[in-house]
Amino acid sequence: MTDKNNKIPFNEDNYTHNINRNNERKLDRRGFMKTLVGAAGVFAVSSLPWGVLAAKELNGLGDKKYPKHKITDEKSLPIGDAVDFAFPGEHDSAILIRLSEKKYVAYQNACTHLRCPVFWKKDEGEMLCPCHHGKFDVNTGEPIAGPPRRPLPEIHVKVENGAVYAVGVKRYEA
Amino acid sequence: MKRSYLPVAFLLAVLMLNLIFTQYMVHQYFYEHYTNTIIAAVINVILFPVAFLIYKKGVNVHD
Ligand code: FES
Repeated sequence: MTDKNNKIPFNEDNYTHNINRNNERKLDRRGFMKTLVGAAGVFAVSSLPWGVLAAKELNGLGDKKYPKHKITDEKSLPIGDAVDFAFPGEHDSAILIRLSEKKYVAYQNACTHLRCPVFWKKDEGEMLCPCHHGKFDVNTGEPIAGPPRRPLPEIHVKVENGAVYAVGVKRYEA
Repeated sequence: MKRSYLPVAFLLAVLMLNLIFTQYMVHQYFYEHYTNTIIAAVINVILFPVAFLIYKKGVNVHD
């Protein structure tokens, strides 16, 4: 019994005696090149989604389409005046300001600070949020005073046959 | 048999290009230069068969 223990593993009964695992983990030149090719493959595959996303953006699929929405007639909005409307949803309040004969600007008028409605101050030529006295540039929607730090989202408008339409919302840019 | 390390060097160069174009691609995407993004992505994809060819050549000749 005792001498049997000492003889394990027997040469003939040992199923693993012919498996040679020396150097199994050695990284030779060929293995290294395989790894590099594999890495190139990973790079190639991971590039695909970026290409697809970029192609989508190029085709304008990234822009959300909203049905165009009539805001007001040109006649009923004198130069320098503003009118409130809702776009794109009925609860997304917005403001349209006529700056000159041809120039209209429109913004979503929820203040980017705490979403109070922003008003058009005609005599001061700027948009004012009464809650904490935030001010916005009327030409760009950029915040110029007070707590807001982000611009008001701009709404694209189009004038057609004497009426002003909202056609889309500018993409948010941080 | 004498082995050549030239293919290894080429593959490393390919990998370097992969890195460069990947970074370029991501940056151009966020700068909204989508055409450049696509160009970089295509180059990255093409680099894979190139790497594979280099490997095939290099492995058979001297090993
Ligand atoms: S909510 Fe407009 S300034 Fe605070």
